[in-house]
Amino acid sequence: MGRQIVQWLDNRLNLGPIRVALLDEPIPGGASWIYIFGSITLFFFLLQMVTGMFLSIYYSPSTEHAYMSIQYIMDDVEFGSFIRGLHHWGASGMMVAIGLHILQVFLYGAYKKPRELLWVVGVVLLILTLAFGFSGYLLPWDQRAYWATQVGINMVGTLPVIGDVLIRVIRGGQNLGAMTLTRFFALHTLFLPWLLMTLVVLHLFILRRVGPAGPWDAAQAAHISEPFWPKQVAMDAVAIGVAFTLIASLALLVPAPLSDPANPSDTSFTPVPEWYFLFYYQLLKYLEGPLEIVGTVVLPILFFLGLFALPWLDRRQGRRPVSRPIVMGAGAGFLLVVFTFLSLSLYEVASLPTSDPSVLRGKALYQELDCAGCHRIHGEGEAFAPDLSYVGDTRSRDWLLQHFKNPQAVVPNSEMPEYGLNEEELSDLTNYMLTLKK
Amino acid sequence: MDASEGEGRRTFLGWVGGVIAAMIGGAVGIPLVGYTILPALKRQKLSWHDVGPVAELEPGSPKEIDCIHSVTDGWQKTTTKKSVWAVKDGQGAISVFSPLCTHLGCGYRWEGDQRQFYCPCHNSYFHLDGKVLGGPAPRPLDTLPVKIENGRLLVIYKEFKAGTPAKIEL
Ligand code: FES
Repeated sequence: MGRQIVQWLDNRLNLGPIRVALLDEPIPGGASWIYIFGSITLFFFLLQMVTGMFLSIYYSPSTEHAYMSIQYIMDDVEFGSFIRGLHHWGASGMMVAIGLHILQVFLYGAYKKPRELLWVVGVVLLILTLAFGFSGYLLPWDQRAYWATQVGINMVGTLPVIGDVLIRVIRGGQNLGAMTLTRFFALHTLFLPWLLMTLVVLHLFILRRVGPAGPWDAAQAAHISEPFWPKQVAMDAVAIGVAFTLIASLALLVPAPLSDPANPSDTSFTPVPEWYFLFYYQLLKYLEGPLEIVGTVVLPILFFLGLFALPWLDRRQGRRPVSRPIVMGAGAGFLLVVFTFLSLSLYEVASLPTSDPSVLRGKALYQELDCAGCHRIHGEGEAFAPDLSYVGDTRSRDWLLQHFKNPQAVVPNSEMPEYGLNEEELSDLTNYMLTLKK
Repeated sequence: MDASEGEGRRTFLGWVGGVIAAMIGGAVGIPLVGYTILPALKRQKLSWHDVGPVAELEPGSPKEIDCIHSVTDGWQKTTTKKSVWAVKDGQGAISVFSPLCTHLGCGYRWEGDQRQFYCPCHNSYFHLDGKVLGGPAPRPLDTLPVKIENGRLLVIYKEFKAGTPAKIEL
């Protein structure tokens, strides 16, 4: 039946040459497990497209609703947490796959003439993927999103001359707010996908025109040549299956994070970027004063310029790694730096209290004084005195401070006892109360 | 029609196509760029906000106070709350610091026992008077315009560009 349909279509559309172009491309040296990463990357991109489209069914890109809509997806929508998990972990999967893909191409010298264009388009794809990661991070509009984006946009702002205008263009105004969110949403779900898709097609088109590079050893490359179909396709399929299983298990076992709702006045939150930006985040800690711009502007620009120019910097014939010591050394050095900074950062992040110590002390105080003996927070404690679940939305810092100092002065006839707290305790308890928000 | 005449005709037709494409591109492209960028460059009117009585500040101990101000963010008008740091020095002069670290804009906090402000993002430290004590921050904490009227402290909330030695308003 399937065969008949293909036959029917073939009679009318003459599919033969297309099949040859798509599947019969010869791979010098034959199929290999080392070539699977490009296909895995493409697979993850498609997975992101599908899960992303479905997330947008419930997501609302407004500062008032974004967080709640994500919460709704996570808590109430059937399979919502799984779909968001796939999207969240799929993004990481795509980064890993791209990293390995680049590493393979780098090691094999596959960017060399005549494949310069293929490499250049690939670097643009890498940049677009990073832009995807950055713009997507803001969309849940939680504390992590808000503060990490704040830092990210400020880094762009350190560009000389155009920096401050650029900040406002990216933010869509003077503050990081509603205009930023709709911008990032449009970028993430319309502009970038179309751009990326077009470039993926271009990448594949160029690949098909110049053909895959194959092994660096000319004799080995000439030894055999196998078409893409069926062996390489089968290897790619197996690899994709494994990658998907990993990501799907993560999506099931580790729900995508959602911290507290974004709150511009709660400066106690320490933002940490996605893991693939972590090494860079760590690097910024060491570049002080005038050196800062080296980290935020000079190094990234040099890095990407270097990547773009690589095929022209390394132009000697021959792709054997041993005959390219400088390039291999530079690559190894880069990896060493990345992994050193990444582990330093992971170590520091692990030992970092993500919330203000004062809030933690306030919370401890709340327990110590047995406030729950009268008050209730999210269903815990007695309902005798006012419910404090969202007290941070209704009371100001001043009100709370005065009230803890002398309850009856603020609320006449209040039954709240005066605890005689010192200044620090007062402020700790107030800070804790202020975190209790919708 | 001889060959050179055909050639000239082709070039001409090519030009016609090119000019039409350029016209349409410009007529759509320029407005699109303006549409995207220009609204973002408009400035808001800033105003003074009452943040409480001056008498409550104690010399030498910074106080985090809420500054509630209304912002117009495109079509959205909201009141947002930012907390700013007010410091009274030994002579009774009052400074109010923007709550954003001058390095890359994270929030910082007061460490009472160390008597310094600390930004946990990339480990910057500031003195009570705002000076950088250590870490990557390129300039002292940003002071906001303040004035005192009838014993109340008034503040204008603004943001400054992070990461530069010079204090540049956004
Ligand atoms: S933002 Fe404060 S140290 Fe980097």
